[in-house]
Amino acid sequence: MLRRVLVLPSGRIAVAILAVIALLALFGPLLAPQNPLATSDNTLASASGSHWLGTDYLGRDVLSRLLDGSRLSVLGSLEVAVTALVVGSVPGILSVYLGRAFEWITLRLADTLVALPFLLFAVAVIALLGNGITQAMLVTGVLVAPLFYRVSRAATLAVARSQYVEAALLSGASIGWVVRRHVWVKVLPPIAVALAQTFGVGFVIVSSLTFLGIGVQPPAPTWGGLLASDLGYLSHQPWAPLAPALLIMITVWAGNLLADALRDVSGEAGRALVNSRKTRTDRPDQSEPAPTGGA
Amino acid sequence: MRAAALGTALLTVLVPALSACGGDAAAGSGNATLKWTSSYFPTHWDPVVGGSGAQFRELALVYASLTRTDENGKAVPDLAKSWEYNVKGDRITFHLRPGLKFSDGEPVDGAAVKAAIDRAKKQQNSALFGDLTSIKSVDAEGLDAVIHLTQVDYQIPQLLGERVLQIASPKAAASPAELDQNPVGAGPFIVTQLIPGTKVLLKKNPDYWDAKNIHIDNVELTSAPDAATVVNGLQTGVYNFADIEPNQAQAAKKAGLEVFVQPGFNASNISLNINKAPFDDDKVVDAVRYAINRKEFVDKLTFGYGEVTDQPFPKGYVAYDPKSENDYSYDPAKSRKLLAEAGHKSGQIKLDLVIPAEDPQAEIVQSQLAAVGITVTIKIDKNWATPFFAKDLTFSLYGTTGRDSAAQTLTAHFGPNGPLNLSSPYEPSGFEAAIARVRQTPLGSPAYPQVLRAATRAGLRSKALIFTYSQPNLIAKSKSISGLPKNPAHIDWTGVTISGTR
Repeated sequence: MLRRVLVLPSGRIAVAILAVIALLALFGPLLAPQNPLATSDNTLASASGSHWLGTDYLGRDVLSRLLDGSRLSVLGSLEVAVTALVVGSVPGILSVYLGRAFEWITLRLADTLVALPFLLFAVAVIALLGNGITQAMLVTGVLVAPLFYRVSRAATLAVARSQYVEAALLSGASIGWVVRRHVWVKVLPPIAVALAQTFGVGFVIVSSLTFLGIGVQPPAPTWGGLLASDLGYLSHQPWAPLAPALLIMITVWAGNLLADALRDVSGEAGRALVNSRKTRTDRPDQSEPAPTGGA
Repeated sequence: MRAAALGTALLTVLVPALSACGGDAAAGSGNATLKWTSSYFPTHWDPVVGGSGAQFRELALVYASLTRTDENGKAVPDLAKSWEYNVKGDRITFHLRPGLKFSDGEPVDGAAVKAAIDRAKKQQNSALFGDLTSIKSVDAEGLDAVIHLTQVDYQIPQLLGERVLQIASPKAAASPAELDQNPVGAGPFIVTQLIPGTKVLLKKNPDYWDAKNIHIDNVELTSAPDAATVVNGLQTGVYNFADIEPNQAQAAKKAGLEVFVQPGFNASNISLNINKAPFDDDKVVDAVRYAINRKEFVDKLTFGYGEVTDQPFPKGYVAYDPKSENDYSYDPAKSRKLLAEAGHKSGQIKLDLVIPAEDPQAEIVQSQLAAVGITVTIKIDKNWATPFFAKDLTFSLYGTTGRDSAAQTLTAHFGPNGPLNLSSPYEPSGFEAAIARVRQTPLGSPAYPQVLRAATRAGLRSKALIFTYSQPNLIAKSKSISGLPKNPAHIDWTGVTISGTR
């Protein structure tokens, strides 16, 4: 599927940006030119040769804090996406096969999770479990899970009614085998779209929570946390929120772009689209002459 | 000549007319509205539950007390027109002003005072009972309230001011839960609408004893939004008065607002629990004391508006003890030496600094202690108040806005049951005797300042507290509001006018 995504220009852009973000998450803390926690007397300084993005209210190097904070920010949103995937898609697929009681219970649970006010629920659970990034992201993942539940259930329902699946079941195949062999490959494309979309959504949520001081304990930097603290010093450094805000925006945009590309290339229509693009790319000099006359 | 006469005539007519269009006109027309947004919006409107913290300033809009403080911090008459002690000093009689009533029509008399004190001492959720240990009983005799004391205590007029005894109508207070939602007092304003935690609307109380000096007709008090947006609200006229963070002062000034510091008794501290390791070792406590660079707090957090302090009082205040100044000045080398003597290698001591919300102070403490080899992990606990006041924490931060009675400030910090003493029941040696001498010394006695400073000195021997800096009471207001009385730690609306209402 990745090969098909790379055929599209939007897919290539999204993958390139997300690859850079992934590299930042992996190596950002090592790339930080200075200790991101080291305070100095040089507070709220402008950009300079020694501090490319200036310093914050405690005299810490902003570039180092951005680089160091990339890992927590990215891992947090990944945790949201993976938690939502597991918590949502597994019962979503199984709800089609495990009987009416299981279906009814999981549907009501999904409805309940959708109805819960997200931030209030997150704050309440964190008050119970303690303030930490893992707890915050797990809670968030559970709240986003209904998206995966509905997507995977809808895709499974479509496959479950197909004749070859019914034939497999009639021939004595187990539900597990049918899910692995026939259902999963059909469910995977819409789930991949949802996953890419959730990564972007998760990033906004992680940033919002850390903006509110939930999830990450100071002085650990995150992009959302940096944005929040910069807003308190706008009259001193009006440009300061730009760097974390741009990073958040670009990452979320790349996640959404990837989701669009995945949607475009999945299914039969997507395969046809990719094939037609390939054909056009392979035979650039054999293009048909422009039609004459009106349409 | 004729022109001069005409000018004089015009001035004679126009000056009174134009001046009537100013502040007094706004007040007189019933449109002088104070739009105050506060980061200390009361969580409780029952003063007994609210306690004597910073929120008393907002509650003082509704409730009056027996005494108030003047610009020197000295007790002066409020609901009580006068008071006197007996010869021995263990009984004080307050004489209330005649003809006063609460906003529900109940009389303000000795019985109301007795009810207020009894409630503060006995109500289950009272935050004040610890402040009233000197009071044995109260007799109501018409407009007199006779207070019998458990010990000689000349601090009572200071104590029973707005911080500790805001007096509610006894009829309304019969149901404390209802009072918490519908406050009824005899203060300068009456509540007309209260949305808990969000907003309260008030109008001038025509029956307030000093109503002639209250020139504000209406008050809209709101809970402050994010600090960064308060200045915008002031600029656009949503508010005309707000307490602001020091990092917003520059923006407020640029917006054409008046920024000023209201004098106060604010003092931030680092709280240690010496009943728990590693602070059960005096050398570790001293090492932390020497590791703290107070100037860094002032430079980075107050933007030039605060000052360093090593005491719970500002310099120049009667209780401030110059002899205790710089007892533990910043000396990281000495700190490392003490830690080594105590047998701790660098990085061996690991501490959790538990605080209620994100606070740059904590990050400064963390970096300063890291410099001497103590590893600090900051932990935010939204339920921080419970373990802090139960004295379960080992290491925390606190900030006080002070008390009107210096003795109360001292006992709150250093007394064996002081709410701000994280090491209860510990108290420094000699403190109990020193504070008893303060209570026994009349406020007007020439010896009082020396006796009080000696108690401060005794208290500062406490190993449980390291005072760091004084956070300013920074306020931004519209220029249409006249200057406030410089009543330390209070916000007093007496004589304040608002001109050109929006």
